[in-house]
Amino acid sequence: MKGNNEVNYRKQKMKSRIAWTIVMILAVFWLFVALVPFVFMILNSFRKQFDMLAQGVFHLPDPWFFDNYPGIIAKGFFGYFFRSVIIVVVSMILMLTISAFAAYPLSRMKFKFRAVIYAGIVAMMSIPMHVTLIPIFKMTTDMGLYDNLFALVGPYVTFALPMSVFILTAFMTTIPKEVEESAEIDGCNKYTNFFKIILPLSKSGLSTLAIYNGVSMWNEFAFANTLLQSASQKTLPLALGQFKGEHAMDMPLILAVLVLSALPMIIVFIIFQDKLVKGMMAGAVKG
Amino acid sequence: MPTSKTNSLAKARAKSTAIAATVFLLPALILIAVYMIYPVIDTFVTSTYKWNGISSDKIFVGLDNWKTLLADSSFWSSFSHNVIVMVFSILLQIPLGLLLATFLDAGGKKFNIFKIIWFFPYLMSSVAIAFLFNYILATNGGLFSSLATLITGKKTLIDLLGKNPSALFSVIGVMAWQFTPFYMVYFIAGYSNIDASLYEAAVIDGATRKQYLFKIASPLLGPIFKTACTMSLIGSLKYFDMVWNMTQGGPAGGTELMATYMYKLSFQQFNMGYGSCVAAGMFILITLIALLFQKIFVVKEDY
Amino acid sequence: MYKKVLATIMTAAMVGSMFTAVAGAEEAKNIPELTTEPLTINFWDIATEEPSKSIAEAAVARFMADYPNITVNQVHQQNDNYKQQLIVAMSSGQAPDMYIHWGGGPMAEYYKSGFVNDLTDMFNTYDHPDFIDAAVAQSSYEDKVLAIPFGGLSGCDIFYNKSIFAEVDVEVPTTIDELEAVCDKLIEAGYVPFSLANGSKWTGSMYYMYLVARHSGNDEFAAAYTQEGSFTSDAFIWAGEKIQEWVNKGYFNEGFNSLVTDNGEDRALMYDNTCAMMLHGSWQVRSMNADSKEWCDANLGVFRFPEDSEAAANGVPQNVEVGTAIGNGFSFNCWNEDGSVDQTKLDACYVLATQYFNDDTYNEEQMTKAQTIPSIKGMEAGIEDENMKVVADVFFNASNVQLWYDQYLPASVTEVHKDCMTELFGLTKTPQEIGEAHDAAMQAALAE
Repeated sequence: MKGNNEVNYRKQKMKSRIAWTIVMILAVFWLFVALVPFVFMILNSFRKQFDMLAQGVFHLPDPWFFDNYPGIIAKGFFGYFFRSVIIVVVSMILMLTISAFAAYPLSRMKFKFRAVIYAGIVAMMSIPMHVTLIPIFKMTTDMGLYDNLFALVGPYVTFALPMSVFILTAFMTTIPKEVEESAEIDGCNKYTNFFKIILPLSKSGLSTLAIYNGVSMWNEFAFANTLLQSASQKTLPLALGQFKGEHAMDMPLILAVLVLSALPMIIVFIIFQDKLVKGMMAGAVKG
Repeated sequence: MPTSKTNSLAKARAKSTAIAATVFLLPALILIAVYMIYPVIDTFVTSTYKWNGISSDKIFVGLDNWKTLLADSSFWSSFSHNVIVMVFSILLQIPLGLLLATFLDAGGKKFNIFKIIWFFPYLMSSVAIAFLFNYILATNGGLFSSLATLITGKKTLIDLLGKNPSALFSVIGVMAWQFTPFYMVYFIAGYSNIDASLYEAAVIDGATRKQYLFKIASPLLGPIFKTACTMSLIGSLKYFDMVWNMTQGGPAGGTELMATYMYKLSFQQFNMGYGSCVAAGMFILITLIALLFQKIFVVKEDY
Repeated sequence: MYKKVLATIMTAAMVGSMFTAVAGAEEAKNIPELTTEPLTINFWDIATEEPSKSIAEAAVARFMADYPNITVNQVHQQNDNYKQQLIVAMSSGQAPDMYIHWGGGPMAEYYKSGFVNDLTDMFNTYDHPDFIDAAVAQSSYEDKVLAIPFGGLSGCDIFYNKSIFAEVDVEVPTTIDELEAVCDKLIEAGYVPFSLANGSKWTGSMYYMYLVARHSGNDEFAAAYTQEGSFTSDAFIWAGEKIQEWVNKGYFNEGFNSLVTDNGEDRALMYDNTCAMMLHGSWQVRSMNADSKEWCDANLGVFRFPEDSEAAANGVPQNVEVGTAIGNGFSFNCWNEDGSVDQTKLDACYVLATQYFNDDTYNEEQMTKAQTIPSIKGMEAGIEDENMKVVADVFFNASNVQLWYDQYLPASVTEVHKDCMTELFGLTKTPQEIGEAHDAAMQAALAE
């Protein structure tokens, strides 16, 4: 496609080649900045605590120590893992649906109180989560959900809502008005419009939200720690506690847990990021 | 056409819109009311008590806590730290994220590997980040000291986290490292929402890449850009996690943020009443700043 | 509000063999008779990691085997957020029936808020292990016994690398002057004398506490605590100046204010032979042995904080030590709906805490597996590890064990104290200034 438009002069080509080289160097530099801490997280998970402390953190494992991982798995890692998967998937589906519902009227309808509701939701983003611990704990025990994995769904969905509604509203605003109008002529109402047109066109926004909230739900500690207490209900971030005592912690073991919990996120991201490509809009409109 | 008919039609339309809006908004509003509004009210109520957080006797003190708050230099210094973090977060995370996204957008699929690896920092938990950066920033054997030694040729030690104000700026740097990938993904999504035919049309019209970016893409990215700034703004004003894991507000309060200050008061110093007051104050300040920002940076919205 | 948590006076001379106290009780145990009805005890500890976890679970299992009608719902909370968890649960009426804490200011707070049963009468009536006096003192508030100690004691001593001392040819110092001489020699030989991770703040506090204690015994701290004296009195200024002098002479590693002890950054400097000594809590014996037993066997030694010969000449006692006599204590929160004491449940908790935690099996496991000395008289006889022997020796010969300032002081003063330690070591504030900051915070706390 680009080839058809090669109208650039030689000079410009030269200039852009130099520019590209600089850009590539910077890009590769940033690759290192992003990667290096991650690599050391992995490398240190293959060491013993003493070796790590004595040789320094930025040192290749010498000798390599492989027992951290089997040790974690023996301590019920997969139980924690699957509970985390369940809770994140359930909360995510609910959260995306509810926030897309809410963003639709806020971005594309004119009605009373729109501005007020929108401002209210923006204000909800500024709640420091720690003040909600006690009220939410009380509510959870009143509902009989204390120490039940699903007690987390309410807080997880709700705390992701304001930000998600806010983002999706912005995304839906960018969808041209004509798209909807032409559909309305074809006999679509507000409801069918939402499912047939707006939702498919918001895919990139929804994917971003899935990524953003997926990571924070996956790593969420404070609510999980407050609302769950039995080992049979706890999620992955709480598994770290098993390797930390009052004055003792085995950092390589902890890093191994963190590596294992980051891996699935990486895989999910690799799959999802492909959805973030250009031209989705065009395709959807034409189709 | 008689006007009355148009009127009633418009009314019916408005009514059906109102109903639709209610239906769509209801689930979100219910959840927010239960899990957020109630705790916020509770926080404001608690802020009028002198209470250690556990005792059954709460002493009503009216606005005493609020008066204390207005004169509390620790609170205002943590607020000023938050503002510094906010300014630099917006100045670092947003442009960097946009830059990375623009690069990836231009490259398309063949740059996927960059996209994936650049995203890694966002996937690391705050515990791991705090631990590793403590070593990366270390005076002895840390990255910056080692680099300085290499460049100057003699042993040069740089104490970043142990001194002020370098500790705060180190924290800002680590936050930028952690959150830039998110804004990158966010802007990629923004770019992907721009109709590809627009780009094609622009290219056919002989526009260069530069012209496309500034004339066509940037206005369309407007709302996206504004929400990104708002998110960064709010996020940095209520930040807690990594700072708590890395410095606990130290050295000597140099990285104390409103959220860490509130946490210490409420859960470590048995001062829940005042802690709630700090939280409520935080809520008011952040909301005001966020709404002010929304007002100042008006982006043309097209309905 | 913050009445003095009681001076922790204890006598030395512990006679008898190991486990006497409990062994004697075996013939006719004087313990409350427990209910035969079904009963559930909600119980929180912080034993998340091994070996503490198995030791604590085993104690509960032994109890439940003897009293099958009683169910103990044992929850291991995470230490990091434990205080927050407790506050959330207490404020929502969901507080556990039996829970651990560290004594000091928070225990007083829980008691005043109605979450601690007064154990004084039971403690005087029924059997319990023969706890050392300091442990009973630290479990008490306003002359009431509020907790049963169980976590064991922690001293605070100087850990040193024997190999480096041998190489530089220096002896273990017994006075502060000798210590300074040792430090100077170490510097000459290219070593940094002390490893300090003062990002954690309470680590620097250990030097401050000890220098104050050596220069003035208990007197000046006790006076400053009630504000009859002041944190700017002679010993505090002397301690502050000494620390700043040491910093200037390079006695501490570079960048200490940013190192975190929980990450093991101070141990790392010992392991890589940068530093020769480290003033720390005695749990470091356990941590370092867990890191590498070989390294410890080859290098690790312990000595008590040296004496101030000048102060000694003036009659200041030199055996006031720093540490904690209880480590952890259990408090009970057993009440009926109408607010009266739920004696049935309280009896069960008391028996669990005194006869199953703190029993022979428990104590032996604490000593051998967790390398912790139970706060029970006679226990020091069973210690095998050389370094732990030194720790126990110092502890049991103390005329007074000063609880860590950051646990002893009111919570609001603790924050100020910790920040002051950063500034003192960082040379950004003078000893006079930090003394004044302590005074101001203390006065505010006393005014409450």
